Amino acid sequence: MASMINQDEAMQLAAELEVEMMADMYNRMTSACQKKCIPPKYKEPDLSKGESVCLDRCVAKYLEIHDRLGKKLTEMSMQDQEVMKKMQQQQQQMAK
Amino acid sequence: MAEQPAAEQIKQFRDFLQTYNRISENCFVDCVHDFTSRKILDTEDTCASHCLAKYMKVTQRIGQRFQEYQLTQNEAMIAAQGKGILPGR
Repeated sequence: MASMINQDEAMQLAAELEVEMMADMYNRMTSACQKKCIPPKYKEPDLSKGESVCLDRCVAKYLEIHDRLGKKLTEMSMQDQEVMKKMQQQQQQMAK
Repeated sequence: MAEQPAAEQIKQFRDFLQTYNRISENCFVDCVHDFTSRKILDTEDTCASHCLAKYMKVTQRIGQRFQEYQLTQNEAMIAAQGKGILPGR
């Protein structure tokens, strides 16, 4: 079937997708930590010690949250898939 | 779901990942306020959990309302076509 892709193409697409999504996550993290740690005063061009430390912690926390939410989402979508499977099975039985 | 063409599946998966990133950003900004340590506090963890669940329900509900809206739009369009206001039968 022309619309099916083989294993290699699938791996490549997955890798590309991962890179793209990682870049997107990175941009969002930057934006979020900027909001959280840098007061919009801009009295001086350098990062203060407090701001630097805040950014370090912010990145650590963002990645942790991102991880935890990812796990929960995977759980949820697996549960959904289970429900869909059961529904399909039931429909097939009814059609017999 | 394996009957869907591959392109469709990829698009769906891509959208899913995009949503995931959005949720992470949103819930982080709304729930995490303490930067005195690198650890996630229990309150922040709970908040993020609830945030995720709520976000899913929000998108569900918005989807429903939008579908309803589209239905009424469709009906209005069909009615207008019938009256000869719009071209097309």
